[in-house]
Amino acid sequence: MLPEIIVIVTALTVLVLDLFVKDINKVQIALAGLLSALVSIIVLPIGGELLGGQFILSPTAFWFKIIFLLSALITISISYDSLMVKTSKIFLQSSSEFLVIMLLIICGMMYLVSSTSLISLYVSLELATIPLFALAAWHKKESKSAEAALKYLFSGALASSLLLLAFSFLYGTTGTMNLSEMAVAMTFSPLQIWAFILITMGVGFKMTMVPFHFWAADVYEGAPTALASFLSVASKAAGVAVLVIFYFHVFPDLVKSLNGFLAIIATMTMTLGNLVALTQKNIKRFMAFSSISQAGYILMGFMGVESMGLVSVLFYLIVYIFSNLVIFGVIMAVSSSTGKEEISDYKGLSISNPMLAFAMMLALFSLSGIPPLSGFLGKFFLFSVAAKQGFHWLVVVAALNSTVSLYYYLGIIKEMYINKADLSESILVSAPVKWTLSLCTVVVVALGVLPQVYDLILEGF
Amino acid sequence: MGILSILVFLPFVLAVIVLLTPNSKAHLYKWICAIGTGLHLVLTAVMTYMYYQSYAVDRLAAKTSLHTKLYLVEQWSWFKAYDIEYFIGVDGMSVAMMILTSIIIFTGVLASWNLEHRTKEFLAFLLVLVTGVFGVFVSFDLFLFFVFYEVAVLPMYLLIGVWGTGKKEYSAMKLTLMLMAGSALLLAGILAIYTEGGSFNLLELGHHKFPMEMQNWVYPFLFLGFGVLGALFPFHTWSPDGHASAPTAVSMLHAGVLMKLGGYGILRVAMYLFPEGAIQWGMTFLVLATINVVYGSFAAVKQKDLKYFTAYSSVSHCGFIIFGLATLNFVAIKGAVIQMFSHGIMTGLFFSLIGMVYGRTKTRDIPSMGGLMKVMPWLGVSFYIGGLASLGLPSLSGFVAESHIFVGGFMGNPWTSKLTMQALTALATMSIVVTAVYVLRGLAQVFQGEITNPKFELLTDATVTEKLVTGILIFTLFFVGIFPSLMIDLIEGSIWPFVNRF
Repeated sequence: MLPEIIVIVTALTVLVLDLFVKDINKVQIALAGLLSALVSIIVLPIGGELLGGQFILSPTAFWFKIIFLLSALITISISYDSLMVKTSKIFLQSSSEFLVIMLLIICGMMYLVSSTSLISLYVSLELATIPLFALAAWHKKESKSAEAALKYLFSGALASSLLLLAFSFLYGTTGTMNLSEMAVAMTFSPLQIWAFILITMGVGFKMTMVPFHFWAADVYEGAPTALASFLSVASKAAGVAVLVIFYFHVFPDLVKSLNGFLAIIATMTMTLGNLVALTQKNIKRFMAFSSISQAGYILMGFMGVESMGLVSVLFYLIVYIFSNLVIFGVIMAVSSSTGKEEISDYKGLSISNPMLAFAMMLALFSLSGIPPLSGFLGKFFLFSVAAKQGFHWLVVVAALNSTVSLYYYLGIIKEMYINKADLSESILVSAPVKWTLSLCTVVVVALGVLPQVYDLILEGF
Repeated sequence: MGILSILVFLPFVLAVIVLLTPNSKAHLYKWICAIGTGLHLVLTAVMTYMYYQSYAVDRLAAKTSLHTKLYLVEQWSWFKAYDIEYFIGVDGMSVAMMILTSIIIFTGVLASWNLEHRTKEFLAFLLVLVTGVFGVFVSFDLFLFFVFYEVAVLPMYLLIGVWGTGKKEYSAMKLTLMLMAGSALLLAGILAIYTEGGSFNLLELGHHKFPMEMQNWVYPFLFLGFGVLGALFPFHTWSPDGHASAPTAVSMLHAGVLMKLGGYGILRVAMYLFPEGAIQWGMTFLVLATINVVYGSFAAVKQKDLKYFTAYSSVSHCGFIIFGLATLNFVAIKGAVIQMFSHGIMTGLFFSLIGMVYGRTKTRDIPSMGGLMKVMPWLGVSFYIGGLASLGLPSLSGFVAESHIFVGGFMGNPWTSKLTMQALTALATMSIVVTAVYVLRGLAQVFQGEITNPKFELLTDATVTEKLVTGILIFTLFFVGIFPSLMIDLIEGSIWPFVNRF
């Protein structure tokens, strides 16, 4: 449990130091804390249990923790302007608290994937959700931010209650809170099928599956960009983690027989996300819909057996984190100095900031699944899971959806590369953001060519 | 690392070098590119020699072989979990395509000599694209094949979008999306092949017998997926717009080489793995290809813009490739492969000449030009040679290719009624007459007669670089036309396995 403790201690350190010391470099402290948590996860052996079997470190938990920590690390680094640079146009008031809350959320997510019973799972899920409402409302005086927070609160509360209902069905029919005992006691009674549907719905909110996606665009647009980027990766990954726990561990056979249902949700999610993204003008709303469609692809990974499906899902999540955060990093870099968030504001970026534009282009291509970038590889593995189950039509739909997504991703590239800018003053990017972006861009390319990461994940299972 | 890997990644390394060269040294990176691609041409010749060295032993065995035999193979494991390999090698057909690409990129770089706007990025993207093209021609792992295929297609968006002319954004988007939709079909097809055959290795898959039901749906998927890039009717509409908007070197490369990836992929993947599917669907695609040929040539007659004119003529000529493949006849397939090479060179010549003429007259409108032969005799004569090659004059490469296709078409195959086959071939053959009409009429309008516009009096003839570009291409056209046996000898051994599988 060392990594979780490190994260909590880091959060408390930032909180306490902020009271007494002026102008502490809290980002450095937070990054150091997260980094040492990451190292401790990698160094410490997998396995073992704590708290009387309530907390275990399975390979799945191991990889999800790495994913959460990575996304927190990168999100905080690219949010450097929001957290530290007072002159920035996206600077957040009382940013230390913002950081602390973010760290606590990560902690909740890390507990979530390690929990073995319904109770601890639900509690840690709430720890990973409720603070987000506060973050969404951070711009206290802006009505958009308030609207975002309220919408998020309502949909989040609904999702939680659906999950609770499902949990009570599961407990009622199996008589146990323990997830692995529950898996053995499954009988496919109607209540359990309902539990499956309710869990899919509850997680659907978190993962922005259609038709539970509607909050995403408003929240992404209204909330601080730092939060939007965090929501798009870490929060989605947490949703995926819950899905992994239930789909692969609690009722794998039920999921197998209801594969067609998943295929339909996946189709709806990617298609609707894509079609709506086509019409967006605001880049944050755009990213919201783009991330909705990505959730559709991720769902395809749940159709297969664990060994193949789970590995594909994990690999795609890693790829997705890096690609998506590169884009959000560029968005924050641009709005930090210009304060603008429309897609048309990216005109001529390739002239004024060639490196920013290039990083953004690679990340966009990666998201749309163009080889040899990592996004293609991730999608390829997900598609092959569906193909293995005989869902060839779904592969065709997904591949055609990728083409549609390419259309709107190219729209941004068109603004950056083809359309001429009125003025082409280059944007100053702060050093931490610059380094994070370069590093992430390299990873986006490298993951697509080097097989080691995938092999590494595969070895764990 | 063997010579094939060097050939594939040399352009990519050049692209990186070019990107790292400081902006101020504008001429330096042009020279880097020219010398680099020149070196590539030399290495390709070396590779051809090496291929012949090892092929000589198998010459006789090739005739009865059911499986493609590879030379200069390099094979490494890549993604172990999926048995994906970095597996490259060549057979005769690949060698021919490599030579074509090498010639086109070398002349293409020379033809871009006068480009001023963001030259560095232009050359870099162009070279990345070429890496993809070379990769496709040597990969025998379907995953690797697909990766290279996409790399070859995507840079086109920026190359046309940024450096193009006219309604470039529309054309670039249309081209990219149509081709990507084609790749979507390919991806689905490839995954279906993998789940059934359990491998991505094309040669291993060649030993697997795919069930008939699967052949029936995957074959058209692959055929259409590749067909989009090969400008198969009715999915050819990206091609005229794309070519018309693209800058010279891009048009050369795209019409010259990229469109050949379509025909190449159909033969290499679809027909190789699904011979029964090919027989089943032969008639359908033969009819589409005939429409391609006839429609393309009639559409070319109506064009007023030199680039659209050439683009539609390309649609018609690429139709011959698909037509040759769809006849499932040995001679015709051989002709189709020669046509890939011949049309590549020919259309490269056309688009480079159009670039040169347009650079001088600042117009591509055919009716407003006239009498240009007087001021630019070199370009005029080159244009005529290209035109004659395109209408299939003997002693030029087009004749070799088209005569093979027609002879093969008349011979037909055992699965289609001979009469239908001959009727369709006759239709396709007659398009040659239409080609003669538009080529001769178009060229006469541009080059013959009196100079219509007084401004044209001051124009100059080809510069040294331009003479080099056209010279190389024309030499190749004649070379293949006069010594067709060399070309046929190169590719014949690699065509047999495809036909023996039917």
